[in-house]
Amino acid sequence: MTDAVQIKSTRFRAQRQADWQALEALVDKAEARGPAGLTLEEAQTLARLYRKAATSLATAREISLDRGLLLYLESLVERAFLAVYAPQETLSGVVSGFFSRSGPRAMRASLMALLLSAGAMLLGGFIAWMLYFQDNTWYHTFVPADLAAGRGPGATTQYLRDGLFDGPESFVASLAVFAAYLFSHNTRVALFGFALGVFACVPGFLLLFYNGLMIGSFAALYADRDLGYELFGWLSVHGVTELSAIIIAGAGGFRMGFAVLFPGALSRRDALRVAGRDAVKLAMIAVLMLLAAGLLEGFARQLITSTEIRLAVGWGIGALWLAWFALAGRRTA
Amino acid sequence: MSRAVMTPAEAARREDLRQRSFTLTPPEGVTVRFDVASLASRMGAQILDILISFGVVLALMIPLALSPLSIGPVAGILFALLTLFIRAPYYILSELFWNGRTLGKRILRLRVISADGRGLTTHAVVMRNLMKEVEVFMPGTMLLAAQMMGVVWQVTLLIWVVVLLAVPFLNRHRQRIGDILAHTLVVSEPRSVLLSDLAETEPADRFVFTEAHLGHYGRFELQTLETFLRAHPLQGAPQTVHPSVVALAAQIRKKIDFEDPVPEADALIFLHAFYRAQRAFLERKKLYGDVREDKHHSEPP
Repeated sequence: MTDAVQIKSTRFRAQRQADWQALEALVDKAEARGPAGLTLEEAQTLARLYRKAATSLATAREISLDRGLLLYLESLVERAFLAVYAPQETLSGVVSGFFSRSGPRAMRASLMALLLSAGAMLLGGFIAWMLYFQDNTWYHTFVPADLAAGRGPGATTQYLRDGLFDGPESFVASLAVFAAYLFSHNTRVALFGFALGVFACVPGFLLLFYNGLMIGSFAALYADRDLGYELFGWLSVHGVTELSAIIIAGAGGFRMGFAVLFPGALSRRDALRVAGRDAVKLAMIAVLMLLAAGLLEGFARQLITSTEIRLAVGWGIGALWLAWFALAGRRTA
Repeated sequence: MSRAVMTPAEAARREDLRQRSFTLTPPEGVTVRFDVASLASRMGAQILDILISFGVVLALMIPLALSPLSIGPVAGILFALLTLFIRAPYYILSELFWNGRTLGKRILRLRVISADGRGLTTHAVVMRNLMKEVEVFMPGTMLLAAQMMGVVWQVTLLIWVVVLLAVPFLNRHRQRIGDILAHTLVVSEPRSVLLSDLAETEPADRFVFTEAHLGHYGRFELQTLETFLRAHPLQGAPQTVHPSVVALAAQIRKKIDFEDPVPEADALIFLHAFYRAQRAFLERKKLYGDVREDKHHSEPP
C-alpha cells in the first residue's frame, strides 16, 4: 500500500473543507443577525457556497463512509438552506400588502361563502321576528338572561328607551365598555364561527343562525314598543361593522367547510390548505372590524345621541368597509 | 438460535426509523433530514413564550398602575386587552422576522420550517399562530372559567381539548392542527460540528490488509468503529492502552483471520490502520455498485 496517497474521500474533503468552513461562518452570522445583517456580497457568497455544499453532500453520500463528515455536511446544508430561504418580508411590506391587495382580494374571492353566512344570520333574524309577533315568550327562548340584562317583554318602554340613550360618563368607563365588548358574546361568536366552519359548515351555520335569532328577537321587542327606529340607530353605530365582522368570520369558516365537503380534485388536506389562504385573511379582517366595532361601541355610541347622526356614522363606516373590499387591489401589480 | 433475534445493525436501523425525522427537498434537489422536535420541548418553548408575553404585559401595566390615571377598576380588563394586543403579534412577527423562531423556541433550539421545501411565508406564519389562538389560548382561558359554564359547554370543551391534544400524537411529524393547515412543522435546530477525518494519515505501514481481510465487514461496522475511534484518538493517546481497545483489536483480528502478531501496545494503531484500510475498501466497492450495508451483506436474504 502506498502511503503518500490519501484515500479518495479524504482527498475530496481536503479540497472542499475551506469552502464549507467559510459557509459555516456566513451561516453563523446570518443566524445571529438575520438575513438583513449580511452585506450584498456576503449574501451572494452565501447562496453560492450553499449550492456548492449541497452538491458536496450529494457527492459525499455516494463516495464517503465517514459518518462524522456526512452528519456535518447534512446539518450545514440544512442551516444554509434555512438562511438562504429565510422570509424576506418587512413589517411595512406585510401590512401594506394585506391592506392594499390580499385582504380585499380574499373578500372578493369568497362571495359565495359571504352570501351563505349573511343568509344564515338573516334567516335566523326573520324567523325570530315572525315568532315574536305570534307569541312574545319566544323572546326568553332565544335571548339568554345575562345578555338581555332586564330588557325583555316584561320591561317598561321607558326602561328600554333609557338603555338606548344613556351611557358611561368617563373615559375609563368607556374603555371598560370597549374591553367588555371585545371579550363578550360577539367576539366569541366570530371566533367560533371561524373555527367551527372546519367541521363541514354545520356548527358554523347553526351559530350564525342562532345569532340571527337573538338579533331578530331584540328587533321585534323594540319594534313592538315603537322603538324600532331608535334601536336601528343605536345598533347601526357599531352593529353595521360588528355584524359584518361576524358574517365575514363565519364566511371564513364556510370556506374551510366547503373545502372539507367538496375538495374536488385535491385531497381534503390540500383543499383545506388552499381554502385556508383566503380564510385566514377573512379572519384577520373580522378581527380588525371587531376592534373598530369595539371602539365605536365604547366611545362613539353614547357620545352621539341623535338617531340620525347614529345612522349616518354607522352606515357611513359600513360604506367605507364596502369600498375597501370592492375597490382595493383590483389592478394586477 | 432463531432468526427472531435482531442483529445490531437491524436494531440500529429500527432505532433510526423510530426517531422522527422529516425529509425535506430544497429547490436544489439534495434531500436533507430534519429531526422533528419532541412535544415536551415544544411545550417548554410554549410555556417560556407565555411567560415572556405576560412579562411584557406586566411591564406595561406597572407604570400605568403608578400613574395618576386610576385604572384600579379596569385593571383586569386592561390586562386582558394588552394580552390580546401583544400575544398574537408577538408570535407572528417573531416567527416571521427571526425565521421561525420565537424567543422560547430560540432558547430551546427549535424552529418552524415550511414542509414544502421552500422558505416560510407570511401566510403560513399567520395561519399557524391564528390557529394557536383557537387551539391553545381559547380553550386555556375557558378552562380557567370552566366551573362557571353549563354541563353542555363543559363537555364540549373537554372534547375540544382532547381532540386538540390528540392531533399531534396521531401524525408522524407531530403537527398540530395549525401546522397541518399552514403546512409547517417544528424541528430541532441543526447543529454542525466538523470532526476530524480519521483516515487522514496512514498511522503505520506495519499492518498490511488484503482483500480477504477486508471482505468481512460493512458500513454499519465501519461506522461503529469510527464512533469508537473518535473516543480513542491516536494523537494524545495515553501511555497505557485501554483494555477495550485491546479487546476490540483481538476481536477484529480473530474475525478477519489477521495472522501477523499485534502487540498490546500497538492495538490502537492497529485499529486506526484497519479503519483506514476498511474504509478505502468499502468506498471503492460502493463506487462500483457493491454497497455493503453490514457484515451480513454476502449472506442470502
